[in-house]
This record gives sequence, structure tokens and C-alpha cells, in this order.
Amino acid sequence: MRKFIVAAIPIAALVLFIVIMISGSFLKKPFGTDDDVTKSIENVMKDVNEEAWDKAVVEVDELESAWRKVIKRIQFSEERDEINFLTSNIVRLRGAVTSKDKSDSLMELNDAYSHWKELGK
Amino acid sequence: MNEALVVVVRGVISYFSLLIFARILGKEQISQLTFFDYILGITIGSIASEVTVDLSSRAWPHWVGLATWAVLAYLMEMITLRWRYAAKFFEGEPTIVIMNGKIMEKVLKKMKFRITDILELLRNQGIFDVNEVDYAIIEPNGSLSVLKKPENLPLTPKDMNIKVTPTGISTELIYDGKLIEENLRQMNKDKKWLMDQLKKQGIKDISEVFLFTLNDAGSQYIDKYKDNMKKVKDIGDYKGPF
Repeated sequence: MRKFIVAAIPIAALVLFIVIMISGSFLKKPFGTDDDVTKSIENVMKDVNEEAWDKAVVEVDELESAWRKVIKRIQFSEERDEINFLTSNIVRLRGAVTSKDKSDSLMELNDAYSHWKELGK
Repeated sequence: MNEALVVVVRGVISYFSLLIFARILGKEQISQLTFFDYILGITIGSIASEVTVDLSSRAWPHWVGLATWAVLAYLMEMITLRWRYAAKFFEGEPTIVIMNGKIMEKVLKKMKFRITDILELLRNQGIFDVNEVDYAIIEPNGSLSVLKKPENLPLTPKDMNIKVTPTGISTELIYDGKLIEENLRQMNKDKKWLMDQLKKQGIKDISEVFLFTLNDAGSQYIDKYKDNMKKVKDIGDYKGPF
């Protein structure tokens, strides 16, 4: 029994470490209704395309809130730069949407979506 | 993103991964390491530090790198353990640099050793005259093993035909004021015997003793907490903060 425990503890620790390090792709998935980043990006994109700017501002808030929740879960497994790039995209997106700039908004949204896809790869 | 928290988590992961890998890799002491083993240790340590603080990339690829180096090191260890030919190739072999008292210059050149290095290694072993040396061998870890000429070897009880009894290894019976009953049983003694021995030294309780060791020949070493030293020698050669 003692021999088993001596071997089991390091194996369990290594397995736990691996799970933490590769958990990004699983943890970025929505666990509720308010942390769905993919859906939020798509909603903002739809509003921008329809030039529904007031609605887009609200959707950007939701996107930011969803993203902040996801960051807390994926920060241990994902690279800092990828997380920071997506955060910057959302900040710039807010500016573009506020100034009702369609091309800038779409650029930031597409860039944000590409960073989002890179997370957990 | 809480960078400090991420570094803490990644630090825990790399610290314990390194600990586990090091335990699996074996118990070689630093002094037994070959040059390559030394570099291997530095590289693995360097990767472990990247796992901890390099937040610009994911921990996983670094950890895979760490595990790869550890697995390769383990495989090489296994190969060299089981296959002597490979051990000779990967770890090198002992090389004679002084034979029958004569320095092998060509071997020294091949090993990239200067004679001053050999003289230094000899001095480290307390040999200041090369005339005393019969054989000197450079081991794969870079240390020098020396066999002195018979006339310079120390006299042993065997040379004098003196019968000696084996002393065995000292076993701790009391450490830090606590009795180690397992060791007492191992030495075929009981608590009553122990207390009698302590009484002879004027000790009334086990808690007064810092260390009590006993070897197979019956030789005891007893150190009390109270040392009763009137003047403690200071070997420091200049004044410092303490």
C-alpha cells in the first residue's frame, strides 16, 4: 500500500499539472449564458453590419464581461500575449463602435475572433 | 489576468515536476556527474525556470521540453547501465595518466589536461611529490584517483598483524532529546540499558541529550544540550556582523 501511494502521488501530480496546462481549450467554452465569447463576437458583428450602433455598444459590454470571466479560467494555460491582444481588440472595438466606424469595428472583430480561435490550440 | 497568481501556479507545476523528474533520474551526487550530466542539469533547470516565468508563451510546450529532456536523460541512463559499450561511448572511461610513476604525455594531450592540472589534483589529495605516485587515473567525472607507490602507502593494522574488531556504523539512539526506539531495538538494547548508560554520565532524563550514538563495537557518543563550556573559541579571522 505504501509503495502504491509513493508511486501514485507523483503520477497524480503530473497528471494534474498536465490537465492544468492543456485545459485552455475546454475552459474557454461557455459554462453559462454570460460567458459565451464566440456568441458575443457574432452578436456585435451582426449589429455592426446592420449599423445598429446603440445595440452594438451594449453587446460590446457583454463581450467584455464574458471575456473577463473566461480570462480567469484560461490564464494558467494560455499565453499572456494572446490574452492581452484580445483584450486590446475589445478596447479598440469599443472606440470604433462608439464612433460608429464600421470598417474599424469589423477589423477589430475579425482580429479578436482570430485571437480567440488561437486560444487553447 | 493576474500575472503573479499565474507565476505562482506555474512555479508550483515546474518545481514539483522538476522534483519528480530528478527523483526518477537517480541519486548521483554533484561530484559524480560527468561534464555532460552537469550541462544536462543546467538545461533542465533553465527550462523549468521558463515554465515558471515566461508568460509570453504557454506553459505546456516548455513542460513538454522539460519532460523530453528528462525522459532522454533517463533513457540514456538505462542504456549506459545495461550496455557497457554505450556507457564507454557516452560517459567516457577512466584514463591512466601516470603509470609506474611515469607521466603519459600523449594521454594528457588527448584528454586536454595540462600537467599543472594533474599536479593541482595531486595536491588536492595531499600529494606534493610526484615520486610518491605509482598510478594516477582520470575518472570520467574529471576527478583524479591515485595509487601511491607501496613504500608511500600508510601503514595498516594488517601490515602489523594487529587484530582489530569491526566497529560498524554508528546508529542514533537519541536525537534532539527524543528516543528512537526502532534503532534501540535494532541494536538489541532496551530502555533500561540506555538509562543506565545515561546515569553513568550524570544524565537523569533523555530530554537532556542532544545526540546519543552507538556502534557495533559498543562505542558511544553522547552530547548534552548543556555543554558547560566556559570559553567558546572563535575561529573567525576578522570582525563581521555576527
